[in-house]
Amino acid sequence: MDDKRPLILVVDDVAMNRALLSDVLSDKYNIIEAENGNEALLLLRERTSEISLVLLDMVMPERDGMEVLTIMNKNGWINEIPVIMISGETAHALIEGAYMLGVTDFIGRPFDEMVLKNRVNNTIRLYKKQKSLSDLVLNQIYEKTRNNSMMVTMLSHIVEFRNGESGMHVLHINTITEMLLRELTHRTKKYQINRNNIGIICTASSMHDIGKITIPDKILNKPGKLTPEEFEIMKNHTVNCAQMLDAVPVGKDEPLMKYAYEICRWHHERWDGKGYPDGLKGDEIPIAAQVVSIADVYDALTSERCYKPPFTHEKALEMIHNNECGVFNPILMECLDAIADKLVMALQTFDWSKQADKDFFYIADAMMNDQRHPIYNQAFRQFIDERKKCHFFESTLNGILFEYTYTPSVMKLSSKASQKLGLPKTIIFEENKTNGVDNLQDKTSNENLEKIQKILRRHTALKDKPFLVKQTFNIDGKSTPCNVKVLQIWTHPQNENPVLTSAYGYIDTLQ
Amino acid sequence: MTLSEFYSSLGESLDAVLERLRMESRVAKYLGLFLNDPSFSELKTAFANNDAKMAFRAAHTLKGVAANLGLNKLSASSSELTEDLRPEAFTANSQALFEKVEADYTAAVEGIKQLD
Repeated sequence: MDDKRPLILVVDDVAMNRALLSDVLSDKYNIIEAENGNEALLLLRERTSEISLVLLDMVMPERDGMEVLTIMNKNGWINEIPVIMISGETAHALIEGAYMLGVTDFIGRPFDEMVLKNRVNNTIRLYKKQKSLSDLVLNQIYEKTRNNSMMVTMLSHIVEFRNGESGMHVLHINTITEMLLRELTHRTKKYQINRNNIGIICTASSMHDIGKITIPDKILNKPGKLTPEEFEIMKNHTVNCAQMLDAVPVGKDEPLMKYAYEICRWHHERWDGKGYPDGLKGDEIPIAAQVVSIADVYDALTSERCYKPPFTHEKALEMIHNNECGVFNPILMECLDAIADKLVMALQTFDWSKQADKDFFYIADAMMNDQRHPIYNQAFRQFIDERKKCHFFESTLNGILFEYTYTPSVMKLSSKASQKLGLPKTIIFEENKTNGVDNLQDKTSNENLEKIQKILRRHTALKDKPFLVKQTFNIDGKSTPCNVKVLQIWTHPQNENPVLTSAYGYIDTLQ
Repeated sequence: MTLSEFYSSLGESLDAVLERLRMESRVAKYLGLFLNDPSFSELKTAFANNDAKMAFRAAHTLKGVAANLGLNKLSASSSELTEDLRPEAFTANSQALFEKVEADYTAAVEGIKQLD
């Protein structure tokens, strides 16, 4: 079967009617048939993004055409999959009802073959155009978000570079800010933060220190303690940044600008009112600035600086709790405690290439749920759902998950897998290296990696069936017998030998 | 009997059908399939079982199928029966309307069986 041909779902309880329609249309289209409403809905659910058009009968057993339409409305399918109703029905009210439920067209019986073909062609062409436009918009937004977040990251790196810092600081703050805000929204509705502005605040957080470009080098990078005069100058990075942002001629009403201003100006304020530059107290300090402030302090404590070694996670938390580095909103302290364990993991395994994608998902998710201008893209929506589903299933599994692509040779591990096997989350195998990666912390994790590689080098018969291997791994420092289940995915390019593209694995500890 | 003779014998026109379905072979094929279409026997069963809902659906289907094949008399009588049964209850007219459908159906089927 040619995959390029559009797929039409023909729904009719009468075999003869289905046969006639598919007879007329099968020279240009692929046809699947359903003989009642329930079957049609099942097919629609399974193949939402493949089906280009539904030809729907009105009177059927097991849910009639109107019920199918009602459910297509409820699921939003009607926005993306056009429906042409074909019926001998002549009752005006029923035909009007079908239009109200969103059918694109109504064709009465007996139908004319030529008219039917043309209406089908036109409808499919029109929807295809709409679909490619919505894809185009999504792609452009994706590109734009990527570029935006790359620009912001570059900007903030420039500041950090001058500061002699690694550039990881902004990325860490971004992560900590996001986790704190998510936790905060679970605890209180007081601050009116939703998923959209979490993304924006995180982006704005990257800019918290851009005011430092106004601070002279010899103060910014002075290894010893600053004199009181020097410290006064240093403190100016907050108001200086606020001034710079104020002078930006565009974007005054944009949330990003508003958050960036708040964060830059007030991330050194203190809950007790003894901070700078304005001595704001309590919730006079905007919540975005409060959150970034605590994120900044935590990351500064746990990182190495020219004037201090890094403190441990525990020590940093203790110092924050003892108000040694400022005074914070009690609810944010609670949030910090709540995310403490996850935080260590998140910062160690931070993958910054995913940062832009994350912003994109925030925006795309919000756009699809926009009441006024919803974007209809079933394939994308399904993809988001699948993604959430995967995360969920992964989180409920006790075993260890990995996936591997053969070209390029990259292995990805779930967070849990990475932790248990002592391996990084993403491993890139280079061809000329025998053992894949250097710098593995210890021998046992290296052994784990070699064992997985050995399993990946097996070639199964070309079946989409998983195979099972018994293997011991070093998990949490103990040699543990495991069952490893691997599914290999093959593609079959035309006239060539099948190619192994990827593999998915599940390691189940036998205890 | 040729297709054209068949339609004439029923007081219908092959040309009108061909305008919609294009090919004689297609018309002949679906007339053949019509012999196995269960709509009429379902209608009969529904009347026997006093099942007005099923009768409505069967009459509705028969109306559409007959219309597609240019069996206009059968389609018209089925249509009348369909409207009669739309409230999904039998009326005083139902039986008479059904007998009309049965007569049109029998005439069509007898003719189809004599096609070359």
